[in-house]
Amino acid sequence: MDEQKRAQFKKVLREIKNLPTLPGIVAKLAKMAENPDTTTEQMGRLISKDHILASKLLKLVNSAFYGFPQRISSLNSAIILLGFNVIKSLIISASIFDVMEEQDVELWEHSLGCAVVSNVLARHLGVKDPEEISTAGLIHDLGKVAIKMELPKEYAMITELSQEKKISRLEAEREILGLDHAEVGSWLAKSWNLPNKLVEPIACHHDPQLAKEERVASAIVHFANIMIRGLGYGHAGDIWVPPLNNKAWKLLDLAPADIDPLLHEIEEKLWDVKGFSLDVQSVPEEAA
Amino acid sequence: MSRILIAGSDSLILPECRLFLEDRGFTIQHCANLPGALAQVLEDPPDLLITEKGFSGKNGDIELIRAVKACLQKANIPIFLIADETQLQVELDWNNYPVDDIIIRPFTPEVLLTRIRLAESRMIRAFDNNPLSRLPGNTSIIRAIQRVLCEVEGYAVCYVDIDNFKPYNDRYGFTRGDEVILMVARVMVNAVDELARKGSFVGHIGGDDFVFIVREEMLEKVCKKILANFDLVRNMFLSAEDIAVGEFIGLDRQDRETRFGLLSLSLAVVITGDGRYTHYGEVSSVASQLKHCVKKLDGSNYMIERRDI
Repeated sequence: MDEQKRAQFKKVLREIKNLPTLPGIVAKLAKMAENPDTTTEQMGRLISKDHILASKLLKLVNSAFYGFPQRISSLNSAIILLGFNVIKSLIISASIFDVMEEQDVELWEHSLGCAVVSNVLARHLGVKDPEEISTAGLIHDLGKVAIKMELPKEYAMITELSQEKKISRLEAEREILGLDHAEVGSWLAKSWNLPNKLVEPIACHHDPQLAKEERVASAIVHFANIMIRGLGYGHAGDIWVPPLNNKAWKLLDLAPADIDPLLHEIEEKLWDVKGFSLDVQSVPEEAA
Repeated sequence: MSRILIAGSDSLILPECRLFLEDRGFTIQHCANLPGALAQVLEDPPDLLITEKGFSGKNGDIELIRAVKACLQKANIPIFLIADETQLQVELDWNNYPVDDIIIRPFTPEVLLTRIRLAESRMIRAFDNNPLSRLPGNTSIIRAIQRVLCEVEGYAVCYVDIDNFKPYNDRYGFTRGDEVILMVARVMVNAVDELARKGSFVGHIGGDDFVFIVREEMLEKVCKKILANFDLVRNMFLSAEDIAVGEFIGLDRQDRETRFGLLSLSLAVVITGDGRYTHYGEVSSVASQLKHCVKKLDGSNYMIERRDI
C-alpha cells in the first residue's frame, strides 16, 4: 500500500466533523424535546440506542469545555452532566442521512444488536461496568460510517471488492485504503477524548489480542460482534461472520453449555430492539 | 454604568449620538487630548471609556488604555475602541490594545447603545462568577437569598458541601479536585433546571461550597435527584482500588493518618418565607449549624430546618 495515499485517507478521515444518523430517531428525539414532561433520562435512553448520537454525547461531555476530558465513559453519566438543555441542542445540531440507504439501517441495527449482546455477555461474566461495555459495543463500527461519508468512492470500491473476491469488508478496506474501520473508529474516539475503556475495544474488536489495558472489554465486544452477525440481526456490510480469536475466547472462559441460555436471553432482548427499530423507521415519512 | 468618558476628536461621537445617550440617562464627558483624559480617569473614573484609534497623536490611545487597565481598582472599566475599517488593514495586536470591544465607523446610536448594554451585563457576569464553575458568586448569592426572604411563598435555601474533599484533593491532586467541583456544579444546575426552573437559583460560594434556592414544594424532589445523580456519576472520579475498598487513607488536619469515606454530598436546607428570617446572615448561620449535623452522617444526605413561625 502506497504510504502517501494512506496518509491522505487518514487526513480526510481525521477531519470529519459531523456523522449523520437515521432521520427517524432524530425526529423522535426532537418531538420528545418539545414535550415539557420529557425527562432527561427518557431522552438519554433513546440516545443510548443510536451509535452516532451516543458517540456525539460522549464527545461533548469529554470536550475541554466541560472539563472532564477522558473521564466519562458512561452514557448515563454523560446525560446527567450535560443536562436537558445541552442534550436538546445536541439533537437540534444532529445531522441525518440525506438519502437513507438500506445499509445505513442495517449497520444501525447491527450496532444496537452488538450493544445488546455485549451487555448480556458482560453481565454474565460479572464485569464491573456492563453499561460501558455495551456502549463500546454500540459504537464499535463508527469507523464504517466515517469511511462511507468521507470516502464514498473508496467505500463503493470496498463493497465491490469484497463481493467480487468474496472477502470480508475488513480485508477489502485494508486492501483499498491501507487501513480499516476499527483503526478509523479508534482515531475518532481518541480525537474526541473518549476514555481508553471505549477506544481500545473499538480499535481491537477484530484483533482483541492487541488490547493492552481493556482486554476483557475488547474480548467481549469482539465476541458480541461475532454473535450478532451469526444471529443475522442487522448487517455490517458483508455476508461473513468474522473469525473468532482464540485468545479472546480463552479469556472469556465461556463453556459451550453457557451459550444456550445466553442465546435465549439475547433473543428475548432482541425482540424489544426489533420493535424499536421498526418504530424508528416508520417515523421519517410523517416527519418529512 | 451611567458615566461615559469619550476620549477623542470632536467628531468621535456625533451630536445625535450624544443626545441619544443623554436621553437614556447617560452622562457624557469629552476630552480631546491625552493629558485631559488621563486626569479625568485618575480623579473621577468613568463607568465606561470610549476612545479612538490614533487618539491624541502617536500611541496616545495605547497610553490611555494601559493607564486605565493598569490601575487595579479601574481594571474593570470597559474600554471601547472606535476605528475605521481601513485602520484594520494592519492587524492590531490585542495584547497591546487591552480593550473590551471594537466598533467600526460609521455606526448608528443604536449600535453604540447595544454595545454599552452588552458590556454592562458582561461585566456583572464576569465580576461575580466563579472562574471554575462559571456560576454566580457571593454578591449574587446574597442578593438571591435576600430576594426570597421578602417573598410570601416558602423557598428552600440549600447549602451544598462535598464531604472529604480536602483529603480527596491530597490524594488525587488539584486537577482532579477541580473536576469534582465542576461535576457537582453540573449535577446541581441540571437537576434544578429540569425539576424546578421557576424562581430558582444556583451559586458557587467558593471551593467545594455551593448554594441553590428552589421553591419549597420542589425541594425534596431536587435534593433526591441531586444525591442520586451524584452517586451515579461519582465513581468516574474515583480509582478502582478506592471504590473496591470503599474508603481511602489520608492525613487529617492534624496530619494524622485517618480513614476517609469516598466522596459524598451534604445538603443543609433552610426554609424561608413568611418572615421567618429577615437577613441572609441568619439563614447562613442556621445552615452552618445544620451542616455540622448532616456531615456527621455517613454518605450523601440532606437535612431540612423548618423553623416554626
